[in-house]
Amino acid sequence: MWTVFKLQWIRLFKQPTLLITFLGMTLVFVYFMAGAQGEQTITVPTFSETLSQEEQSDWLDRLNEEETFEFIESDYETVYEDIRMNERAFALGLEEDRYQFLIGREDMEISTLIQYVNQIYSEEQRLEQVRQDFGTENIDVSNYIQVETTGRTEAASSNEIYRMAVVVGMSLYFSVYSILYLMTNLVEEKQTGTWQRLIFSPLTKTRIYTGQLLHYMLAGILQIFLALLILHYLVGIEFGTNYMEMSVLIICFVFAIVSLGMLLMGLVGSPQQLQVVIPIVATSMAMLGGAFWPLEVVSNQILLFLAELMPIKYGIQGMMGAVLQDRSLSQLLEPIGALVLMGIIFMGIGINLMERVSENQSI
Amino acid sequence: MLETKDLTKRFKSKTAVNQLNLYLEKGESVGLLGPNGAGKSTTISMIATLLPPSSGKVRFNNEDAWKNPQGLRQVLGVVPQEIALYEELSAYENMKFFGKVYGLKGKQLESRIEEVLELIGLTERKKDAVKTYSGGMKRRINIGVTLLHEPEILIMDEPTVGIDPQSRNYILDMIRELNRSRGITVLYTSHYMEEVEKLCDRVYIMDHGEIIASGTNDELKSILSNEETIHITVQTHSLSFEEKLSQLPAVTQASEEEQGYKVIASKGENLLEDIFELSRQTQTKITGVSLQTPSLEDVFLHLTGRTLRD
Ligand SMILES: Nc1ncnc2c1ncn2[C@@H]1O[C@H](COP(=O)(O)OP(=O)(O)OP(=O)(O)O)[C@@H](O)[C@H]1O
Ligand SMILES: [Mg+2]
Repeated sequence: MWTVFKLQWIRLFKQPTLLITFLGMTLVFVYFMAGAQGEQTITVPTFSETLSQEEQSDWLDRLNEEETFEFIESDYETVYEDIRMNERAFALGLEEDRYQFLIGREDMEISTLIQYVNQIYSEEQRLEQVRQDFGTENIDVSNYIQVETTGRTEAASSNEIYRMAVVVGMSLYFSVYSILYLMTNLVEEKQTGTWQRLIFSPLTKTRIYTGQLLHYMLAGILQIFLALLILHYLVGIEFGTNYMEMSVLIICFVFAIVSLGMLLMGLVGSPQQLQVVIPIVATSMAMLGGAFWPLEVVSNQILLFLAELMPIKYGIQGMMGAVLQDRSLSQLLEPIGALVLMGIIFMGIGINLMERVSENQSI
Repeated sequence: MLETKDLTKRFKSKTAVNQLNLYLEKGESVGLLGPNGAGKSTTISMIATLLPPSSGKVRFNNEDAWKNPQGLRQVLGVVPQEIALYEELSAYENMKFFGKVYGLKGKQLESRIEEVLELIGLTERKKDAVKTYSGGMKRRINIGVTLLHEPEILIMDEPTVGIDPQSRNYILDMIRELNRSRGITVLYTSHYMEEVEKLCDRVYIMDHGEIIASGTNDELKSILSNEETIHITVQTHSLSFEEKLSQLPAVTQASEEEQGYKVIASKGENLLEDIFELSRQTQTKITGVSLQTPSLEDVFLHLTGRTLRD
């Protein structure tokens, strides 16, 4: 079994192009779909009708302490015109003790922006309250008084959710490609006859299969880990600290996909046909399962039902839960269970189909 | 030591092998001769416990080989008809892998690899990827990989298909050597009767999934003992000549050849005279006549009315 396992690695290292290509694709797609947007800070023009120039710029300093948004100074006429011409989606009006938004069109970021501005305002107002109560101007009250605010990190912004969905979705999607393409080898070996050579040998079928399948699983896991590691260290994407949960999910997901692979190899007899079938299966699964767009935007009941049958849906759902919502293993039982169950069912049917085919396979 | 009993394989509607009985004694070299699609590969696959038979048995040392295949597999070496190797890996890497699969390891494995590489004459190319080999070299390493675990029984499926005469002789000599001096039992499949005639003590002739004749070379040829083969060379082929030829009472088979006709006929009749008479009637000019001792090819022709390769 380990001999078979090791051999497949030797072969993979001789021809690593496939894995590297799909790893590269993951990075490229993440970069174009999420990276560019994530890097950008969103510019928010501000205006004021009552505040002095100085007061307005004080507010701007305070608002610009965090980096997600960049607040710039402008005036009412300009932003009004910009919004009317649809060049800007929104603008923020700053006043002494209140704020207002001019909103031209709906934008993903508005709710986050409102939440953020609201938080800063209430913080400032409370500090102001305290200053007045103590009647002093020079003490930095924030040193003494902890102001309770909801941190931004806890409730993930829609931008963050989108970004993580792309990262997870693409990493899983391209690992599906790699795994399924690598598994074509099973069918190829039956064609070239190396599989038959192994059957002639004293190795049992179970061991041959186990060695092979372990290899595909590990190769898939390796690819996902590499993708996430590179995205973390090079692009700076944060995955939190739920390493155990993430690992369990990745392993279960890869198991489900390897099983799906067995099913495909059992259904589709020739490597040539597989070359066509694999992209179709991988892509439609990714579309239905929500790797390309969030399932929230889907309303068709049939599509939503189909999504339930896609392993990638549970992979994404579970990973997002572990990374963004800080869920623990016990809270992730649903996606994990679904993946394992699918894996077992696919594997059972797949092996049976494969063996039925090989009943007619001579040398 | 190895035998089949009414071995049968049906693929959906097609019966590829039908009620086949054959046996191998220790140290024997046995040929399985048959044209394309006769069922040779299917038979071998069932004997080698790869392909489950539809019915019938394979017995190894009087035990059902399909009940407990491991015993047979350990002493069996099968050379597949196609090159069954990881072609992107080197000869050495392939041998190392398949050696390990048979439980060889360490020094023993290394020395076996060296020995076999020497035997198949590939020591110098052992580090090159198999896909860079010539056809003959691929055939040799395809056999070599099977020899690593020193099988007691060697089953070969057309191991010389599609290669030059030189490589072919090399391989044939090698197999004979393995059989004669190391006592390896050989089951050799081919549709080249010369190979089988040269290499094998005993021959089974197979057609349409059944064995139609078996025995030693001489026994098989004695099927033709009261027949003779006559080659007639003519200046130009003539249909009416061929037709009349096959209608002669003594003739069992008349077929066209490159230079003329090949006739199988009963011995002792006044055949030559009849032939010359026919040539006068049909105005076919005969330029030569020769008598030939029968070959296995003729036996096959006699039994089936077809040549081994068409
Ligand atoms: N998997 C299969 N499904 C259906 N028919 C098959 C299958 N394998 C073989 N056959 C048929 O069984 C018959 C015997 O095939 P087999 O490969 O055993 O012949 P062979 O004697 O080895 O021929 P060759 O000299 O060409 O190798 C052929 O008619 C073939 O078409
Ligand atoms: Mg064959």
